[in-house]
Amino acid sequence: MSHTSRRAVLLGAGALAALPASGWSFERDGNRKVLVFAGNQGVPVLDPHVRYDWSTRMIQQSVYDGLLKYVGAPPRIIPWLAERYEESADGLTYTFHLVGNAKFHNGDPLDAEAVRFSFERGLKLNAGIAWMLKDFLKPENIVAVDPRTVRFTLDRPFAPFISYVPWWYIVNPKQVAANTVDGDNGRRWLTENAAGSGPFKLRRFDGNTLIHLDTVPDYWKGWPMGEANRLSGVIYRLLREAAPRRAALQRREIDFGTNFSPDDLEQMARLPGVAIENHAGFTTFGIKFNCQQGPTADINLRKAIAHAFDYESLITIHNGGARLMDSPFPTGMAGHVSVPDMPRKDLEKARVFLARSRVPNGDIELEYVHVQGLEDARRIGLALLDSLRALNIRVNIVGQPWTTMVARGSKPDTAPNMTSVYVTPVGTDPDTVAYQYHRDSWGLYYGMSHYENPEVWAMIAEARGMVDQTRRMAIYAEVQRRIVADQPELFGMIANRTWARRDYVKDFEFSPIRFTGEVDLYPLWIQG
Amino acid sequence: MITYLLRRAGLAALMLFGLICLTFIIANVAPSDPAALAAGPDAGRSQIEQARREYGLDRPLHEQFLRYVTDLTRGDFGRSVANGRPVGQDLARYFPATLELCLLAMALGVLAGVPLGMLSAVFKDRWIDHATRILAVSGIALPPFWFGLLLQLGFATALGWLPTSGRLSVFTEPAAPITGLLLVDSLLRGNGALFTEALSYIILPAIVLSLPCLASILRVNRSEMVEALRADYITAARANGVLRRRLIAVHALKNAMLPTLAIIGLRWGWMMSSTVLVETVFDWPGIGLYAVSSAISGDFKPVMGVTLIVGLNFMIANLVVDLLYGTLDPRLRDA
Repeated sequence: MSHTSRRAVLLGAGALAALPASGWSFERDGNRKVLVFAGNQGVPVLDPHVRYDWSTRMIQQSVYDGLLKYVGAPPRIIPWLAERYEESADGLTYTFHLVGNAKFHNGDPLDAEAVRFSFERGLKLNAGIAWMLKDFLKPENIVAVDPRTVRFTLDRPFAPFISYVPWWYIVNPKQVAANTVDGDNGRRWLTENAAGSGPFKLRRFDGNTLIHLDTVPDYWKGWPMGEANRLSGVIYRLLREAAPRRAALQRREIDFGTNFSPDDLEQMARLPGVAIENHAGFTTFGIKFNCQQGPTADINLRKAIAHAFDYESLITIHNGGARLMDSPFPTGMAGHVSVPDMPRKDLEKARVFLARSRVPNGDIELEYVHVQGLEDARRIGLALLDSLRALNIRVNIVGQPWTTMVARGSKPDTAPNMTSVYVTPVGTDPDTVAYQYHRDSWGLYYGMSHYENPEVWAMIAEARGMVDQTRRMAIYAEVQRRIVADQPELFGMIANRTWARRDYVKDFEFSPIRFTGEVDLYPLWIQG
Repeated sequence: MITYLLRRAGLAALMLFGLICLTFIIANVAPSDPAALAAGPDAGRSQIEQARREYGLDRPLHEQFLRYVTDLTRGDFGRSVANGRPVGQDLARYFPATLELCLLAMALGVLAGVPLGMLSAVFKDRWIDHATRILAVSGIALPPFWFGLLLQLGFATALGWLPTSGRLSVFTEPAAPITGLLLVDSLLRGNGALFTEALSYIILPAIVLSLPCLASILRVNRSEMVEALRADYITAARANGVLRRRLIAVHALKNAMLPTLAIIGLRWGWMMSSTVLVETVFDWPGIGLYAVSSAISGDFKPVMGVTLIVGLNFMIANLVVDLLYGTLDPRLRDA
């Protein structure tokens, strides 16, 4: 009997070994290489005027072009489809001059009319990116002056205008018209198809599984790595769980991966052939207090908590890969100042503030809500629980799905006492962050603290319409100081952005303005 | 027989309606705002309200329910708020992958479970019985996601024999589907390489999915066989000189198969719902994964659609089992 079973085992093992081991990257397509990038998030809607998040925008940035583009760290805006632009002295008119050689993937020339049409489409659909400009720009005030000139006239000065332009991608009006059904402005079609001019074009698209992009051989902007090293294309592969993603990188099934835990990264750094990208980020982590209802409506309690919290734990949780916030604005953002007296752990001060509060002896329970499944946020909750014990305050840590958390935070009556929120600014202009503290942001995910200070609101509203940058930045410096003084949130940290890649992937270019996980695929190539 | 069939089908329809009510209620008591999801994270109030109108979420709940049920009768599962696509289209896209995985897992479960159950009954309390008991207990007790990760670590990462996850290599672009089942399609097209590749991808998730099913079939079949082998008609047959092999494989097994069949029917339904875990671990592009990714983002129409499909499968499987019961056992036909 034992004879048979041994033979059976050997046979089984042999049969399994005979099965093909899957794609050992880097895979070739003809004589060019294909790069495989793995992430944990799908691309439900590719339409650049309807939706954006890190994975979606990574693909959008690959198949579409904008007038301008963000590159580098600290992020700067460089000319792209527009070779230059002018701003009128009153801050109302922006004139963009387009390059002469840009064309869409189907060969149609990319002209001023395409630009006008795309901005008009973005505004009219009133989804995704529309919020950035819709209060300042009317569709009829975008004019294609000549085939290479397009002029935008704003209703009133809006200083952050240029910082949002790179996210408005240009679509081919003819393709959109040809695929418009029931007056939907091509919306249904663009969900899974592209009508762009970007460095890549779509080959296969299943937003829930994989997206295969081919490089455009005669891309109008050319290829930075040279024609010889240009990839055949890039495959974005969805691997939702971290363990298979890690295994796939180890086996060279993928060449680039994102969303690894700090511990995973530390282990992977020791593997031969694996390189870790670790860069100072732009995404702030804060614990938003409910400033309108419940015990945290009391500024003294908020300050007591802010002085009792063990900030070093934020660094420890990220294995050193984070820095503490020294202002509500992330470092690297225009107008950022390091605010003096930023609360740090000081139990004596904390007790003084607590004594001044309505609950001088503590003895209350506060709810801390984080997004379910976010391990770092949960561990930060534990650190908070531990810190607040010294004030005799109990913390109830609750994990909830993102949508539930946001729905609760939309009203002061239902917003938790404390909510942990990560925010990635969409632009480099200080208004992007400052406006989160304005009355208009109440109810949005970054406005969950329902912060109230009419003077600060007025300063924020004034600054966004100012043309004089020096005066503007002075106002933002004051705004930062005032917000910290009012303590609408516990200002936490900015975690590093991390990726793991095979070392043969070259010319990765980091820019903190991109969302977590998002990579500019354009400059990448494979050596060897 | 026709009355029997009609009665069972009527009961199934009633249960389906109950399921629709239940999923609708659960989806709507969840404290999240689908309109906010549709409008995007940074959307202002006007955008959220526009999305609310667009998806009919501004209507009273009973009106939304009526509309949902009316649409369902036309085969319309509603629209996903995350991607705006009709849920029916997405279900049609992802269901074949789940069906293929479940069919293979069920085949593994039955082909291994029935003979092993038979063997352990024949060799009751011998080593083979003990060994299959360990298999059965672990089959029921092992959490599928954990077992799946373990197999991935062993066979994919450490040994490198099998791929980690997915349905095909990312570099393989299969031709337009015929049945949607890759193994069948590749055979129909005579594409041996694609068949081998598809098999290498499906084998691990199929094993994980089949294990609980194998375990229940094994245990039920064993106990029924033990009963059957003790029965008088077996003794009589043996006295009549019927061969032992025939005695076990025909006389006893046929009687033991009735409850086993019921378990197979039940397990088919369970299996469909277990795909939620297994497909997530193996990134298998089926309805289970579709349900999970939709649920995580708070997109409820797809979750409701998947729940209905799984429920429908449960009911159809039970209906088929009921009918087979009737065919196999004439006494049940009028029951």
